Amino acid sequence: MPKTLAVDPEKTMQRGEVAFARVPVHAYDTPFADERRAYGDEGLRAALRHMIVIREFETMLGTFKATGAYEGIAYTYKGPAHLSLGQEGAAVGAALALEPDDHIFGSHRSHGEFLAKGLSAIDKMDASRLETIMDEHKGGALKRLVSEHVGGTGKTLAENFLLFGLLAEIFMRESGFNGGMGGSMHAFFPPFGTYPNNAIVGASAGIATGAALRKKLAGNGGICVANAGDGSTGCGPVWEAMNFAAMAQYDTLWDDAVKGGLPVLFFFNNNFYAMGGQTSGETMGWERLSRIGAAVNPASMHAETVDGSNPLAVADAVHRKRALLLEGKGPALLDVECYRISGHSTTDANVYRTRQELKAWERFDPISRFGTQLVEAGVLGQDDVEQMREEVRRAITAVTRAVVDPEIAPVIDIPADPTAIGKLMFSNTEIDLPEGQAPLLKQPEESAPIRQIARKARTGKGEDGEALSPMRAVTVRDGLFESVLAHMTCDERLVAYGEECREWGGAFGVYRGLSDIMPYHRLFNSPISEAAIVATAVGYALEGGRALVELMYGDFIGRAGDEIFNQMAKWQSMSAGELQVPVVLRCSVGSKYGAQHSQDWSALISHMPGLKVLYPATPYDAKGLMASALASNDPVVMFESQRLYDTVEQFRTDGVPEDYYRIPMGEPDIKRQGKDVTVLTIGPALYTAIKAADTLEETANLSCEVIDVRSLVPFNYEKVLESVKKTGHLLIVTEASERGSFAMTLSANVARFAFADLKAAPRVLGSPNWIVPGAEMEQTYFPQPADIIDIVTGEFYPERRSNRLGIRNWDDIELSKLGI
Amino acid sequence: MSTPILVPQLGNEITEAEVTEWLKSPGDAIEQGELIAVITTTKMSMEIEAPASGTLGAIVVPEGELAEVGATLATIE
Ligand SMILES: Cc1ncc(C[n+]2csc(CCOP(=O)(O)OP(=O)(O)O)c2C)c(N)n1
Ligand SMILES: [Mg+2]
Repeated sequence: MPKTLAVDPEKTMQRGEVAFARVPVHAYDTPFADERRAYGDEGLRAALRHMIVIREFETMLGTFKATGAYEGIAYTYKGPAHLSLGQEGAAVGAALALEPDDHIFGSHRSHGEFLAKGLSAIDKMDASRLETIMDEHKGGALKRLVSEHVGGTGKTLAENFLLFGLLAEIFMRESGFNGGMGGSMHAFFPPFGTYPNNAIVGASAGIATGAALRKKLAGNGGICVANAGDGSTGCGPVWEAMNFAAMAQYDTLWDDAVKGGLPVLFFFNNNFYAMGGQTSGETMGWERLSRIGAAVNPASMHAETVDGSNPLAVADAVHRKRALLLEGKGPALLDVECYRISGHSTTDANVYRTRQELKAWERFDPISRFGTQLVEAGVLGQDDVEQMREEVRRAITAVTRAVVDPEIAPVIDIPADPTAIGKLMFSNTEIDLPEGQAPLLKQPEESAPIRQIARKARTGKGEDGEALSPMRAVTVRDGLFESVLAHMTCDERLVAYGEECREWGGAFGVYRGLSDIMPYHRLFNSPISEAAIVATAVGYALEGGRALVELMYGDFIGRAGDEIFNQMAKWQSMSAGELQVPVVLRCSVGSKYGAQHSQDWSALISHMPGLKVLYPATPYDAKGLMASALASNDPVVMFESQRLYDTVEQFRTDGVPEDYYRIPMGEPDIKRQGKDVTVLTIGPALYTAIKAADTLEETANLSCEVIDVRSLVPFNYEKVLESVKKTGHLLIVTEASERGSFAMTLSANVARFAFADLKAAPRVLGSPNWIVPGAEMEQTYFPQPADIIDIVTGEFYPERRSNRLGIRNWDDIELSKLGI
Repeated sequence: MSTPILVPQLGNEITEAEVTEWLKSPGDAIEQGELIAVITTTKMSMEIEAPASGTLGAIVVPEGELAEVGATLATIE
């Protein structure tokens, strides 16, 4: 909605037709002699050898799966083996054209890409850089292990290091590149430019796109590659990512220094099948995969179909796309046709394809094809090929023998440290607020909406104790904003985006005024692509940036499910702490708009290992927790109640400090002292509980201690347990549906931790297990002060029982039989 | 004849707004529909258009001050 881009009806209504940039299919025709000159015989032999390494490595895995032994080494491998036998030309061709600082992200079938990129990086790096990389990885521990048990020096040592680190990872050993926390489908090693491979089909598309955004903004060169299969073209998040990479604003609105589409190459290893579903002719409508580029932007994403059985054809295409990307003309797409001669996995019985089809593709086996070509051209002799195979087999055998040996490469000893994996979930580190100022369009004081906050009272009470309006006192919205402003103005790595985040200031105006001072590339409107919003934030963070992204409503979490649950939550731990994911995801919790716009899904997020979860309810807490979230190197999901954005500070007499401060995550806060009942609240239920507490004090002479959880993950129970020791009664109030709510978790745990102190079982008061009705009926749904009073006087202090005030006269056991 | 410039109704929860900027000064000639001021609520900023043509009269609510919905910000003479 930038006003600089007018929508002109006269123009848009003109008659015409849509033209598409042409999409070449197998256009490669460079004479071999030219290639030979360009790569040299050495380079061509290396390409062949790299394909043979991949073939032999994966043959070893396949043989273990099939027979439990390889070259006389017995081993039972229980994990996955998605082999890419037959597809080596695509991986090696791409790696030939990529530089060490280009970063690739892949799929479940990425051993080949990992090895090809690693081998190419080893070829292209000088010896001292290689030594440094090996010395710095785990303090040189892997290098020492490989030197001692496999041997080699210089580039040979580096290749053994690469093979060992990968195989140890596949066999889930502590010495694996990712500490054994990733495995076959995930292995990566950033110093060689390989980034997380993903077991979720297509998930790398959004992550690579976000990483490309970071590369572009950091200006440190190189491109990102999203490796995926043809099957992933059926995934919504892949389309979201391609569009995100192609947004027009990079050209129309961003500063000259960062103009142009994102430097990301969507590289589809098109083996014509997604497991058994045949993309060409059965499950997709594209007829040629490369056609989809035409749907994304006027350049058709520079899409091409290329021959994946010829590494030189692939290298040629990747080389040209890379140059376009570095010119700011991204994104690009390659449809790399290849054929998987092995099964999808080792349980594949080939029920979906014929023998004739397999036979027909034999001629396109990249290794025999390229080998024959090199022999015919005299680049090497047939004997040399055999010798090459033999040497590779020997190297892989040596590495394998070492890796399967538990003395050399043990599995991480969990019984010795039962929470060892747990300790990898979070780094629990945070950054200092950077000094100095990032480039801004103007100073914050020059923005009227920002000035307006500065004029407000810091507490919600006026001089005579009267309540101040949200125009006169700092609100929850302002508290959030002040910390966002503090980080955004001084930390250039931090970008903020989401739907309507710029001019609108976010759907609920939290960023009001920020667009006055922030250049486009730091604060921008995203497409309505919740999956891409989160996935790109994750990629941006993995690449060294920090991201603050927003989902307009928590109800849209489902649209970004995989990205939150499997990506944002997991790369810190799946990298054994090697990578961090400093992403803050803001989710507003609505009301008034009914069933799909009013749900508190904090329990869903808290259920996922690897996410910190906050739900502040006061301006002071909102500001302090937002600062902690933005400083955190762990991913944080921040829930914000729309009903509370205009709430002023009512608990702290000295109000919300003007200066920057942090509130540690995980600490609940006593908002009202009492002795008869502990009421623990989540989010806006705080205010319901305070109202009930006031009434109980007046009418029943009962005093409630009201504690606001503030954080769901982590959570320190100590204050709650202390309080329960005193009161003997615990009521937990949440606006989420009761079944499976976080309140239920709190209740079960306190029942256990404080059993002896409790005079009655802890009680949860949440919303019922049915849809949230519209505004007119909302009071019948969300817990009301009357419901709290009914429980406290009816269940905890029956001697003070009065007539039921609320409407919850239902029988939970009966409702449960009905599933409600 | 004089036409008041009023704080518009901005949704049923908004009761007041701040005048963040006057884009015109008293005595300026004004066309109907021209932008004359920016006001800000808790949630958003919006531009106020002149309800009539004429000359901007005295400003009732200066920059940085609050006004209730329906209040007069200034008049057009
Ligand atoms: C989101 C998701 N859905 C389904 C699967 C199960 N699955 C794993 S691989 C695969 C086929 C993927 O096909 P394609 O993208 O063409 O890659 P290929 O296996 O051919 O390399 C499927 C369906 C998954 N891992 N992730
Ligand atoms: Mg496939």
